Amino acid sequence: MSSNEIQSVLLIGGAGFLGLHLIQQFSELKPQPKIHVFDVRPLPDRISKQFSFIPSEITFHQGDLTSPADVRKAIETSGAEIVVHSASPMHGNSQEIYEKVNVKGTKNLLTVSKQCRVKAVVYTSSAGVIFNGQDVHNADETWPIPEVPMDGYNETKAIAEEMVLSANDPEDDFLTIALRPAGIFGPGDRQLVPGLRQVAKLGQSKFQIGDNNNLFDWTYAGNVADAHVLAAQKLLDPSSAKGVSGEAFFITNDTPTYFWALARTVWKADGHIDKRVIVLNRPLAIAAGYLSQFFSKLLKKEPGLTPFRVKIVCAYRYHNISKAKELLGYQPAVDIEEGIKRTLKWMDEGL
Amino acid sequence: MGKVAQLLSHPLELKAALKLKYLRKPLNPDAVAKQSANLTECYKLLTLTSRSFAAVIMELDTELRNAVMIFYLVLRALDTVEDDMTIDPKIKVPILREFDSKLDLESWSFDGNGPNEKDRAVLVEFPCILEEYHKLKPEYQLVIKEITGKMGNGMADYILDENFNLNGLQTVSDYDLYCHYVAGLVGDGLTQLLVLAGFGSKDLYEENVHLYEDMGLFLQKTNIIRDYAEDLADGRSFWPKEIWSLYAKNLSDFAKPENTQQGIFCINHLVLNAMTHIESVLHYLASVHEQSSFQFCAIPQVMAIATLSLVFANPRVMHENVKIRKGTTCYLILKSRTLRGCVEIFQYYLRDIKKRITVEDPSYLKINIQIAKIEQYIESMYQEQLPLGVKPKDTLIYKKVLDRTEDDAKVTLIEEEEEFKFNLSFTMLLTIVAAVYFYSK
Repeated sequence: MSSNEIQSVLLIGGAGFLGLHLIQQFSELKPQPKIHVFDVRPLPDRISKQFSFIPSEITFHQGDLTSPADVRKAIETSGAEIVVHSASPMHGNSQEIYEKVNVKGTKNLLTVSKQCRVKAVVYTSSAGVIFNGQDVHNADETWPIPEVPMDGYNETKAIAEEMVLSANDPEDDFLTIALRPAGIFGPGDRQLVPGLRQVAKLGQSKFQIGDNNNLFDWTYAGNVADAHVLAAQKLLDPSSAKGVSGEAFFITNDTPTYFWALARTVWKADGHIDKRVIVLNRPLAIAAGYLSQFFSKLLKKEPGLTPFRVKIVCAYRYHNISKAKELLGYQPAVDIEEGIKRTLKWMDEGL
Repeated sequence: MGKVAQLLSHPLELKAALKLKYLRKPLNPDAVAKQSANLTECYKLLTLTSRSFAAVIMELDTELRNAVMIFYLVLRALDTVEDDMTIDPKIKVPILREFDSKLDLESWSFDGNGPNEKDRAVLVEFPCILEEYHKLKPEYQLVIKEITGKMGNGMADYILDENFNLNGLQTVSDYDLYCHYVAGLVGDGLTQLLVLAGFGSKDLYEENVHLYEDMGLFLQKTNIIRDYAEDLADGRSFWPKEIWSLYAKNLSDFAKPENTQQGIFCINHLVLNAMTHIESVLHYLASVHEQSSFQFCAIPQVMAIATLSLVFANPRVMHENVKIRKGTTCYLILKSRTLRGCVEIFQYYLRDIKKRITVEDPSYLKINIQIAKIEQYIESMYQEQLPLGVKPKDTLIYKKVLDRTEDDAKVTLIEEEEEFKFNLSFTMLLTIVAAVYFYSK
């Protein structure tokens, strides 16, 4: 089928964690499209052995996402018909940065892409856009975006997603789609798996907070990247574009898992097994969180346990991805166990 | 521990046992009074071979009661021929292969079973089974005959399969196929009967082959895991090599004390395999509307999940045949009368399994993920955790559960009445005891 063959793709934020996985998955397409990367920082000098793409085949464009000139230059030189926008600051940055990248940057990208006659924009949103602190049970895309958002990050992601989806304009041959991955992990991840390894190093892995009945989605980054490739292909294919353009899709590994089971699997893969586990129930842990926060403030240290973190690890947050399976033909190719193995291997490379 | 002490130490089960014995009204109690002498003879045979099965069959709606009873006895007869090691394979194999054609005869019986075969009466008195068989609706006869033919031939194939006789089951798909012959086919036949009688949703048979197959496989696999010690003592085994060889060189190694840990890992791996059938079981149960049929289908399934949780990580399985408590059975029988009750039972035992998995277990994450998958499925059945303004997804299973919930509501009324009567009797009893106590002081 030639109609959805991608000639050239521009990956915005392509030097980041998910970015490298996007390069990998696009580079595995036959025939391989021309891959262009746009980012504020250059591609890493050394690429993990977990990736097999050839860095010299990638064209890199350094620039600022909020600059119309920078973005225009990259789009025009790449001749990309598809722009994948996965640039996003890490959780834990300032509100100012979120606003700048997620809102201003996305707005700029949409305007310039449309002016340059790009055919389709694939936006990496976040499953967090529907999260307001309440439990999320088997959520699908009909769940509303809460009026009061969880935090600045999710708020700006939701605003950006809304901009992307409402920019969808089939009359004018400009199509958009938003993917909402949940709990991305994999080689290059600086949060989930490394965070857990840190917990084990500090000897805190024997504590379990909550009853461990709450389900979570973890999603292997390579699978998230696969979903982006599929989204791009579906948008380029006129027979499927109508069904998917202007739509949002949850993307997960389709295997919700108990939070502590995942954590312990990581620790086990790392050679660490706790013989005894001390269970702190949720209210007790929240109280402890307040105390820890208070004393950490006094000592001017970063608190290990906070009420916010307790609520996060005790919440149900899992999603129903029937829509992505049905309309995008998405299937997670790498399962959680394999994903954890690859992530730990990457960490051991010490990059 | 004695049975009484066991009951006393589990008050909920004691309550269930009392309710079951004194308060619960059996469904369709009039059927027994109207039956002929020959039919009574058949029910006697049924009770002789399986007391627990007999109890559930007797409560079935009269439309299906005799058909299921005859179906059960015919398969029992087949099994009694297959199981009896004193019969020469040269005689046995042709009987098994032609068993379905015996059903066309006016009268046929077989007295070639060894004198110690406990169910030999079923074959000796086969003419009375035949007589009732011929009185069944022709479409019911056809189903029984079809399944008997398939199962008889399957059994004969296994007897002649030297590799199987020498080395047991090899791959997991061999395991599934074996379970198909001994249990999947039973599910096939019963489902056909159920749909013909109009007691289950129409799509149950034709559109969802895996549903009834999984009903049978879930029961059979649970039994196979539990029966390890007993089967080994009889010189046979049904654990598939593909799984057990991951944990030991020889299947019998698990019985040695130094291999207990490996044995537990192997059992847990088999439990994981059995758990893959649970979603279908729940889907199937949601499709059965007529109450006596629902209970008939549900009771074995909830007993199986209770047994599965009992065998999970249980070193006793390597040495003895573990069984759930009588009181537990009473509790399960009462609670499994509604779909919601069944779902809660499954959830309870699955969470119990989850709590007991150790991180060292090679199946640790897989079991967690499988249980989570079932929890997600249960969530999609009821969809009760939706935020304001979100409508439930109109899926096939959701609609089925809605329908079945209406049936559940009728049963809930009965349950409430029993509860009321129980509390009333209990209060009266206490009052009398107190009165006697004060009076005698």
